[in-house]
Amino acid sequence: MKKKSGLFQLFAYTFLSLFAIMNIVPLFWMVVNSLKKEQEYAANPFSFPTSLQFSNYMQAWKVANMDVYFFNSILVTFVSLIVTVLLGALAAYFLSRFKFKLRGLTYSLFLLGMLVPIHATLIPIFLIMQKLHLIDTYLSLILPYTAFHLSLTVFILEGFMRGFPKDMEESGVMDGAGIYRIFWSIILPITRPALATVVILNFIYNWNEYLFALVLITSSEFKTLPLGLANFVGIETASLTLQMAALTIALIPIIIFYLLLQKQLVNGMTAGAVKG
Amino acid sequence: MQTLRGTKLAIFFGLFPALLIYLGIAIVPIGLSLYYSVMNWNGIGSMAFVGIDNYVKILSNATFWLSVKNNVIIMVTGLIGQLPLGLLLALLLSRGLRGSGFFRTIGFMPVVISSVMVSLIWGMIYNTEYGMLNNLLAAVGLESWQQNWLGDDKWSMLSISIAYIWQNCGLYMVIFLAALQSIPDEVNEAAELDGATGFKRTMRITIPMIRSTIMVCVVYSISNSFRVFDLIQILTGGGPAHQTEVMTIYMYNSAFMNMRYGYGSAVSILILLFSLVVISVMNRLGSEKDA
Repeated sequence: MKKKSGLFQLFAYTFLSLFAIMNIVPLFWMVVNSLKKEQEYAANPFSFPTSLQFSNYMQAWKVANMDVYFFNSILVTFVSLIVTVLLGALAAYFLSRFKFKLRGLTYSLFLLGMLVPIHATLIPIFLIMQKLHLIDTYLSLILPYTAFHLSLTVFILEGFMRGFPKDMEESGVMDGAGIYRIFWSIILPITRPALATVVILNFIYNWNEYLFALVLITSSEFKTLPLGLANFVGIETASLTLQMAALTIALIPIIIFYLLLQKQLVNGMTAGAVKG
Repeated sequence: MQTLRGTKLAIFFGLFPALLIYLGIAIVPIGLSLYYSVMNWNGIGSMAFVGIDNYVKILSNATFWLSVKNNVIIMVTGLIGQLPLGLLLALLLSRGLRGSGFFRTIGFMPVVISSVMVSLIWGMIYNTEYGMLNNLLAAVGLESWQQNWLGDDKWSMLSISIAYIWQNCGLYMVIFLAALQSIPDEVNEAAELDGATGFKRTMRITIPMIRSTIMVCVVYSISNSFRVFDLIQILTGGGPAHQTEVMTIYMYNSAFMNMRYGYGSAVSILILLFSLVVISVMNRLGSEKDA
């Protein structure tokens, strides 16, 4: 580990740099061109803009209905996230801290969800939502987002809560606290690190989801950001710089979120992947 | 805890809401998919029981097999493109080079961006007239290499595969990196004392030590390859002429474009079966080598 040969370093840095360039260039190219005039882009897609066209952003924001999509995405993402994490934590609490007859079965049922591709359920979910008149409502997205992320949420939280020492709740019992009181005031606070992971994972999954939105949302009023963007780019084929501006607007918040919460996000995704 | 009064009721109320939503939306529909898959139904009229008729029709449909073939291409792309690349990157990053954190950050970024965004960006790269790739080729005097990357059936699956590698490689990189970092230092030191250094140590010690993680990634990558939808739906919609269609798109088109809900459900059951079979075969292969 101590001595590294120069040749190895040369190879490593060359390879890593090439890889980094491959990852950065498409995004960089898009952001740079989003600041150009359409004619300028057509003339040379690799030059830097002569003057920065921030008006592209205003126009994209308006033409692409980005305010509506952002609002919908934020609403659906956070409501699903809160419901998933609350219900998941409660379920994980009972599964990890209590013995009861159907415990094993219930736990395996929750785990099963990680194996099932959502595509195997898509048609029935669409038909159920149609029957319940929930197509084109927030609820039609919140319910599947919650249901499908309960598996991983319960799995991660159950594993974490199981690790607490057995007498964790004793002081609470002594003070006469009920089961739910113990959950809220003792268990939940010490589960915070795992809760953070689960919150971040749910956020990313909900924020990026496309397939359910595609099937369950038809009206522009309820479209989420990924669906709205996909449609916008499909329709607005004339102006590439406008498309790039819209994509950049959507890209920036998620990149900031990533850079701020990098460590937890990587840990969470790794855990999710390894366990999923 | 079991002595607490009303425990059973409390457990019931604690688990009930989560179970209700989960079973109702995630588990019951699998059963419904099975049920619809033996029906002929356009979603409006009455259902007619047709037995395994849908399955017979699907399995004798050339387009379906084309989509299976494309799923296999995506699977192979994942296995020979993403995993070794991710492993190589992780091996390099685990050597404590200066700037590792930077490369890890950049490498993982595409995983966090939505697949819709990834697809739209790659759509712009591959765009025949205005895209980055063809423009770049022109700029370096290689006009003759320009292609209709997504529209030409010689290139379309390859183009999609490259975008797919770009999108997911970083995920395997960080999973492998986490596994490599959990190898105790003593193991590496002992190996070095025994004269196993560099490449030899990597092949003989390091990789065998993270075998179980590699197996998990193989299974994960396979099961993901059966779930690919967004990327292809947005880049090509499955075209030209079904050349890039995968099973999920075939299912989506059958059910939601052609209103054949029974037929589409049968496809979705086949997706489920295919992925379960491949995963269990891989799992068996993995555990046999362990024994």
